[in-house]
Amino acid sequence: MDAEELAMDEVVDDGIEADISTTEAAENAQLAEQIVLRAADVDVYYGDHWAVRHCNMEVRRNEITAIIGPSGCGKSTMLRCYNRMNDLIASARVAGSIEYHGVDLYDRRVDPVEVRRRIGMVFQKPNPFPKTIWENVAFGPRVAGIAKSKSDLDDIVESSLKKAALWEEVKDRLKTSAMGMSGGQQQRLCIARAVAVDPDVLLMDEPCSSLDPIATTRIEELMQEIKAEYTIVIVTHNMQQAARVSDRTAFFTAAVDEEAGVRFGELIEFDRTEKIFSNPSDERTENYVTGRFG
Amino acid sequence: MTEELRKSFHEALEDVRSGIVAEAALVTELIPRVTEVLLDLDLVGAQEIIDEDDEIDEMSVALEESCYSMLALQQPMATDLRSIVTALWANSHIERSADLCVNIAKGARRIYGTTMFSPRLRGIIVQMSEEAARLYRLAMDAYVDKNAGLAAALDDIDDRLDDLQYECVVAIFEAHAAGDFDLQAAIQLALITRYYERIGDHAVNIGERVRYMVDGWMPAHAAAARVRLSRTEEPEAR
Repeated sequence: MDAEELAMDEVVDDGIEADISTTEAAENAQLAEQIVLRAADVDVYYGDHWAVRHCNMEVRRNEITAIIGPSGCGKSTMLRCYNRMNDLIASARVAGSIEYHGVDLYDRRVDPVEVRRRIGMVFQKPNPFPKTIWENVAFGPRVAGIAKSKSDLDDIVESSLKKAALWEEVKDRLKTSAMGMSGGQQQRLCIARAVAVDPDVLLMDEPCSSLDPIATTRIEELMQEIKAEYTIVIVTHNMQQAARVSDRTAFFTAAVDEEAGVRFGELIEFDRTEKIFSNPSDERTENYVTGRFG
Repeated sequence: MTEELRKSFHEALEDVRSGIVAEAALVTELIPRVTEVLLDLDLVGAQEIIDEDDEIDEMSVALEESCYSMLALQQPMATDLRSIVTALWANSHIERSADLCVNIAKGARRIYGTTMFSPRLRGIIVQMSEEAARLYRLAMDAYVDKNAGLAAALDDIDDRLDDLQYECVVAIFEAHAAGDFDLQAAIQLALITRYYERIGDHAVNIGERVRYMVDGWMPAHAAAARVRLSRTEEPEAR
């Protein structure tokens, strides 16, 4: 008997069953409060191609949620749904609902620019603007009208670079081009640029795949440091990275509907990371994480 | 659709599994042998068993190293991870069981020249030996077949060995009281009954680890559950 079962038995034995439902209601309310992004029955199509089928997934506040799976399983597509990046692809169509703090992200009245300010994104390849380090970070807050003066911007640049663990390395060369930085520094600059507009969620699409192991470790450490302030969703090809950094892991795979003859991406299992990598519930997850599936 | 991607790693893992079975087979054969040594008070046979233990130790160290190497180099996940953890535990239990056989052999040397066993004592000792060996065979059947049900049943099956041990200790006391057994020999033999009983416990423990390997089940631990319960009064953030 584990501790939870034990706890439940004792409560029932004491004859205060009513307390259980009260506790449950309180826990449910607490859980709702924790959920930042909620995808319900999400389908994504690129023209005729069914990229993601019937996805239900909740992302919790101040947690790192990892999405893993083989190529073509729809993991990046799902990530891009969370800040409406798929809007930019003409053939893309999203069905179902994605709620951000209970608000339907795809509601007509929702401004996609505001969505992307609150839900920032870091891409696979570092993509700094061909401008100075300072301008890279200051660009967002200036455009969004967050900073009123040059000194406000200076403060934001400094605090953002500090959050991205980059300040000490670049504070003496803020006016030099970002293109002269190493790949790892450029990626941290992109994280600084993303946090400069004071987002709530950071989406990361394979942020370390073009970095060496040390730069990768820096980014992973950085994620741990900043998760107290942000909610992070990361797509990664690297299972060990998902295991190291995330609290919860979603496993997607590419499935085939034999009858209809269509291929689609599907969420197979979503659970605590430790469970996914030590004792997954679904055999397909098991096969993927143990390398028995190509 | 399933395609083996990590062939060499999984072969190495299979080798460890085979190694565990081979190591356990040595112990399963050792149990009746050491019982014969005990009942015959065979000094030469006792020395052989003591010497042979080095080989089991070497085997155990090699298996342990293989497991560490896979943990360090292969980042095992899910079933693979649980198989390695189970192999490490089972390896430790098997190695310790071999040591208990050595302890029985050493006990036989100490009893040598002091007494002869009564037919009743011989009978109980033989039964204990058979039970211990049977538990070991069943534990390995469960391990090889990944049979969580059989693994879980070992705890109950072990009750028979526990009863026999109690019976044996009572018989030793009676023999001593009747003047058939000197005190030194009686204590040695009482300890030996404990060694058989412990071998059975190790088989039960292997069964618990087999269950972990098969479905992730962890042994229930009343004290740990109490501590966790006291912590849940202040639930963590997640």
